[in-house]
Amino acid sequence: MAEMVKLFVNGQEVEVEAGKNLIDALAVIGIEIPHFCYHPALGADGNCRMCLVGIEDGRPPLVPACKTPALEGMKVQLDTDYIKKIQRDMLEFELINHPVDCPICDQAGECDLQDYYMTYSLGDSRMRVPQVTKGKKMDFGCGVVHDQERCVLCGRCVRFTRQITKTGELGIVNRTDAARVNIFPGRPLDNRYALNIVDICPVGAMTSKDFRFKQRAWFLKRDDGVCHGCSKGCNIYIDHHREKHKDDVIYRFRARKNLLVNGYFICDEGRLSYHQENEQRQTQTIVDGTAVSFEDGIKAILDRLERAKKPLMLVSPDSTLGQMWAVKRLATLYGAHLSGYSDAYLKPGSGDDYLINDDKAANRKGLDLLEIDTDKEILMAALDRCDLFINFNNDLFFTDINDDLKLLLNSADCVSVCSHDLPVHRSASIIVPTASYSEYGGVIVNEDGVLQRFRKAVCKNDNRPDIVEITRLLGGAITTWIRSWPGIRQSVPLLSDVQPEEIPAEGLKLADSEDSHVGT
Amino acid sequence: MEVKILSEKFDIKDAHLLKVAKKHGAYKTLDKLFSVDPSDVIEVVKNSGLRGRGGAGFPAGVKWSFLPKDLDKPVYLTVNSDESEPATFKDRYILVRDPHMLIEGIIICCYAIGCHDSYIYIRGEYTSQVKILQAAIDEAYEAGYLGETVAGRDFRLEVTVHRGAGAYVCGEETALLESIEGKKGQPRSKPPFPAVVGLYDSPTIINNVQSIASLPFILDKGADAYKAYGTEKSAGTHLFGISGHVEKPGMYELPLGLPLMEVLEKVAGGVWKGRALKGVIPGGSSTPVLTVEEAKTVTLDYESMAEHKTMFGSGGIVVLDETVDMVKLVENLIYFYHHESCGQCTPCREGLGWMLKIVKKLLAGEGTLADIDLLVELCDNIEMKTVCVLSAACTMPVRSYLNKFRSEFEAYAVDDASTE
Repeated sequence: MAEMVKLFVNGQEVEVEAGKNLIDALAVIGIEIPHFCYHPALGADGNCRMCLVGIEDGRPPLVPACKTPALEGMKVQLDTDYIKKIQRDMLEFELINHPVDCPICDQAGECDLQDYYMTYSLGDSRMRVPQVTKGKKMDFGCGVVHDQERCVLCGRCVRFTRQITKTGELGIVNRTDAARVNIFPGRPLDNRYALNIVDICPVGAMTSKDFRFKQRAWFLKRDDGVCHGCSKGCNIYIDHHREKHKDDVIYRFRARKNLLVNGYFICDEGRLSYHQENEQRQTQTIVDGTAVSFEDGIKAILDRLERAKKPLMLVSPDSTLGQMWAVKRLATLYGAHLSGYSDAYLKPGSGDDYLINDDKAANRKGLDLLEIDTDKEILMAALDRCDLFINFNNDLFFTDINDDLKLLLNSADCVSVCSHDLPVHRSASIIVPTASYSEYGGVIVNEDGVLQRFRKAVCKNDNRPDIVEITRLLGGAITTWIRSWPGIRQSVPLLSDVQPEEIPAEGLKLADSEDSHVGT
Repeated sequence: MEVKILSEKFDIKDAHLLKVAKKHGAYKTLDKLFSVDPSDVIEVVKNSGLRGRGGAGFPAGVKWSFLPKDLDKPVYLTVNSDESEPATFKDRYILVRDPHMLIEGIIICCYAIGCHDSYIYIRGEYTSQVKILQAAIDEAYEAGYLGETVAGRDFRLEVTVHRGAGAYVCGEETALLESIEGKKGQPRSKPPFPAVVGLYDSPTIINNVQSIASLPFILDKGADAYKAYGTEKSAGTHLFGISGHVEKPGMYELPLGLPLMEVLEKVAGGVWKGRALKGVIPGGSSTPVLTVEEAKTVTLDYESMAEHKTMFGSGGIVVLDETVDMVKLVENLIYFYHHESCGQCTPCREGLGWMLKIVKKLLAGEGTLADIDLLVELCDNIEMKTVCVLSAACTMPVRSYLNKFRSEFEAYAVDDASTE
């Protein structure tokens, strides 16, 4: 429990964490101090001067809140006329050379300059002399586009490349109002986290080529999610929108803060993996090459299951614990052999020491916890002798096509329950679509043993059922993923006390896991 | 009126060479220095009333006593030889005419504060001066006054000259430290102060060249001898640089406290060409201007200047005669500070550029009375909201010209103030 101190804000006594800077300390109790250059992951720079607050009887009497630790008895003045005028003046200085790009700027609707202007200024422009003109639409590499005129020179992007990625591609050159953010000639951004710069830029000076002009921020519905790009399980925002007469589509992922998992940032591959949620989806139900209704597809599988003497079921390492459990129960019901073989999801050497793991599966730990066998030889043997193979969304050819496996698959009677139209599923005689991770909720465990719960974000028009629902339709006893949990608690000692509804927002560290390698 | 304390050797030929300087007393205080306690030296300097000669006038001995005791970090001295304040040219005399006096002062200061590695930050534009300075330092090393055993004592002292690269802002103490550390010369937020967290995160004293060069005299003759010059609160002498519209511009060493007009008449020969006086800049361009009336009552010391709502500054006195266009002068001033702004913080970076454009608009005959009001307001909006005082160094004098010579600005305004 952090040490608390009592101090005064606008005459009111409040209790905040001792030693924290005033911006963070007061944000916890809901008091906003406007700022541009301060960022909790990057520290305080103290150059924007937007966070200047008064300290009654203080020496000095005017301080930047980002560099002022909360002390006992401090008397902070935020709403005096003097401070309000300073806030208006600082905004005026930021705005005099700022281009009126709002109608064409991606940041509109989620722009600190706009928001602070509306809250702290609303003043008319007094600029009657020519503005400073600077570079626009500058390609900085890695999909980052820089607009120097919109830039408020807070320096967050420069500090990011120096402190976080340690690649140092960006710098601020020149003195006075000739100061510009820039790259070295011929040396653009070149790291796997560059698009975080778009997130941290408080204005529209850093925009993403991928997102440019695609959608207005106020149309996007923001839902919390967990990236399934690898076993790190970084927290994301899923920004999606259903246009009139169209389908709910994801426009972008953004980083979501989780101090237990990824800190404040995500990798670029994960950020752009929203494309995979939108593209190459399995939408049709196919039986023996013909498109049929979903119900007919389910009937066809039931039919085969009833006749099968040696069924084999394969579960995906991306599935949630609830889904894995539902498939496990289904396998028991039909006497099927169950495998979780997913070596294809391992890409040795592709990870780094920050947020990217070699293992591209989101919930491999779930297979371990539920003691689902993942051995390749065992799977191959089972495939060889099975008379029905049901693949619950496992991409066996994720890294590359394994010829031995392909041969066996071609000779087996395959059923694929899949979210994406992938090579591994095309040889199946029955293909039934299912939801992907942004379209269902559940619990997964990352490589460091952190249990995370996420909720359904996207509602597709055809609302395809997730794996739990499909097992139910196939006769399974689990009706919703929550119903998996009594069974999970009973059979997995490590999870015996876990209540999904009570998993904290940052996740739950499992008891036996080593200290997680947290990205900060 | 002139005295020869600091400038004692200035007119001696080749006094920058060690052999000449020694003949005239260079390094004679070292025996005395090493026979007393460092804390005694600090006391003497405190008692002498020596105030920082860079412009701020902070008592030197008091600054030294801010150093934390018992830290496991080294103490550094950086000598501020950036000398970029417009109208200031005193330090270059010391560098060129008596560099060994400066080196001796560095030895005294470093012994007092426990520093073994010191830096002289010299402005990049002093290309010939740095050669003379470095040659003197090399001579001092050669003669054993610097190095592992200063003057044969168990005291190590290195002096490194670090050249600037053309930025006025690097005369600001924390920007100077940043520059020595190899970073952009952008000032740091204070607190923490350099005496606690300075160069390479260690306790650091930054003093002006002239302040350090004053130390040999103080140690040699004692605090009382120094206090015999000047006034009670403004002790000692100063190298005044008098420039502008006078008959005899130049560098003159004078005790503090003399009446300004008397100095201008008797030392600098009065306003040139028989013209009338219009105003006086008392201590470098960053100081508010004095009107003729104010000039008549002010004396050249910190207190009198403060009473007249200006500053003693760096002693760079600029005399302005009746032909000076105050609006063009202000344009020149704002041009300088805008050009020199480091660009780090919003009000200075954007605000000074805005002010410059407004003044140019006025001069082009397109400004209004409202523009003049705006200029005054911008001075208030920018001042003291910034990381360092470069912005105040612009706004404080500019405000004084706008207030005291308002009619000249109004004369440039288009008649119809209702156009905006």
